[in-house]
Amino acid sequence: MKAKKALSWFMVLALSFSFLTGCNALAGKNKDKIVIGAAMPVFDDKWLSYLYDAMKKYDQEHIEVEVKMVDAKNDASKQLSQVETFLAEGVDAIIICPVDTSAVKPMVEEANSANVPVVVVNRIPTKDVLDKIYAYVGSESIQAGTMQMEKVAELLGGKGNVAIMNGELGHEATVKRTEGNKQVVKKNPGMKIVREGTAKWQRAEGIQLMENWIQSGEKIDAVVANNDEMAIGAIMALEAAGKLNDVVVAGVDGTPDALEYVKAGKLKVSVFQDPMGQGRGAVETAVKAARGEKLNNKFVWIPYELITKENVEKYISKWK
Amino acid sequence: MKSQENVANHPAMLGDRVKRAGWKEKLSHLFSRYGIFLIFIGMVVLMSFLSPAFLNVYNLMNVVRQISFIGIVAMGVTMVIITTGIDLSSGSVIALVSVVAASFAHPGEYPLIVPIAIGLAIGVLAGCINGTISAKGNIPPFIATLGMMTAARGLALLYSDGRPIGNLSDSFSFLGRGEILGIPFPIIVFLIMGIISHLLLSKTKFGKYTYAIGGNEQAARICGINVDRYKILIYTYAGLLSAIAGLMLTARVSAGQPSMGQMYELDAIAAAVIGGTSLSGGIGTIPGTMIGALIIGVLNNGLDLLNVSSYWQQILKGAIIVAAVLLDSRKQKKS
Repeated sequence: MKAKKALSWFMVLALSFSFLTGCNALAGKNKDKIVIGAAMPVFDDKWLSYLYDAMKKYDQEHIEVEVKMVDAKNDASKQLSQVETFLAEGVDAIIICPVDTSAVKPMVEEANSANVPVVVVNRIPTKDVLDKIYAYVGSESIQAGTMQMEKVAELLGGKGNVAIMNGELGHEATVKRTEGNKQVVKKNPGMKIVREGTAKWQRAEGIQLMENWIQSGEKIDAVVANNDEMAIGAIMALEAAGKLNDVVVAGVDGTPDALEYVKAGKLKVSVFQDPMGQGRGAVETAVKAARGEKLNNKFVWIPYELITKENVEKYISKWK
Repeated sequence: MKSQENVANHPAMLGDRVKRAGWKEKLSHLFSRYGIFLIFIGMVVLMSFLSPAFLNVYNLMNVVRQISFIGIVAMGVTMVIITTGIDLSSGSVIALVSVVAASFAHPGEYPLIVPIAIGLAIGVLAGCINGTISAKGNIPPFIATLGMMTAARGLALLYSDGRPIGNLSDSFSFLGRGEILGIPFPIIVFLIMGIISHLLLSKTKFGKYTYAIGGNEQAARICGINVDRYKILIYTYAGLLSAIAGLMLTARVSAGQPSMGQMYELDAIAAAVIGGTSLSGGIGTIPGTMIGALIIGVLNNGLDLLNVSSYWQQILKGAIIVAAVLLDSRKQKKS
């Protein structure tokens, strides 16, 4: 009888002990490392590669944070399964840079039901998704468009024919930057949009589109491109036709290649969307989310900056 | 049955039949042979009416330069499709050639021949792997080249760390931006490769065997043709042509870009098919493919000149490509 009682006490003790250690082990794991899953749209993108670099840098600087980065290769369904894998691994927070902002909803919903906070970076999702995420880190695309066109309007003296080079059709940045462009044109009665076409973010396509525009004989005073690569394409075509001096070319992004063109006076305007700031901001925000901190504002805006020949050196040194 | 039809439709055989036929049949034979060419002329005439800027030497030169890259790739793709194969790797091979060649093309480092030779070697190697895997490994070319498409793009990204490689020498840039006697260099290469490819396909044993393999592979084997060897050669040639396009495209944009050539494989296949190449094999010509590429070029250029909205451009391009092939295939059936 006595032996039985002793045995049951022993078992209770052993059980509670194992519970305690078990809990300790779990808590300990959480404490010494915050694991963040970063679902990125495509590694093959120069601008985004700086955003990735900033994330990796944060990872290296902070021993307590681990950033796991995966490439969706521009495939939204692949991105969904990558997010599911993160959830199965039990990460503490997820950063998503959506392949397609309209396809991000199921990812966020699955993360919500697993109680894992989501930070969306760079590409802003729709409002119903914004309600369900922890934070959005990025810059307001429309602002890039207005800043860019305002500077172009100033350079043109408020009048002239403008051609707009769109990025990939349907992308949020294409739609918003162009919308920003058009808002400014509306405010300047002397300005007119005479051409609009897509060069799919690519330099080679930009050359081709500009060549065709030159051939059309339409008088174009400014080419305003949704990104720098297309603007560089336009510059190359204009240069080959000997017309670069008559045309103001503007881009967005401030990539290292573009900065060289700004420095040479060929690209008159670019708008810097700070990829390092966004990458760092995304990880910092995700770490806050993993620690359970409350944010006052869901939007973490990383400001745009205007690049012209006068301040280009500052940005060139930024990349180094 | 199938092989008989194919032989009958072979350009070399058509001539005899036309001689013996009446004038009505003669006309339909002419159309079946030159139908796509007539459609092309029709498009040029239409565009000239719609846009005054279309029909001038500079713009036409512009169109030919723009399609010379796709056109060169499409010649190799045509040969591959004639053997009932397919090559999905062209665009990715272009990207891989682009970044590797660019890294050897910085000013004052290596002579011009080095980036060219390395670029061509990569194309040849990729094509050779495609051919060997599909012929010796008995794997459908769709899968073999799909693998190459994915792997070569990955390699291009890995090699370049996902970033464009700029700062190319002037001599290298000549390949894409230079002119000889006022004619852009890519156009010259396009025409030369067109002539070489056409002669290869129409005048050599290599060409005869290519059609034979596509007409009836089993029969070709029984006739003692070393089918595997010729398949490997054909894919290798296609890889070489992709590399040539990749080198010139890199020079044109003055940078090696891992994102280069996306969807080029599909444009090249479209050019071949518009030009009368049959996806079921055995039928196709290089001049046809060159016209097919030109049709795509005229469409791109004409729609830009006419200031057609980008959304409509995509819809129209899709519709016109299918319509051109439909018209052509109907005429072929009638004959």
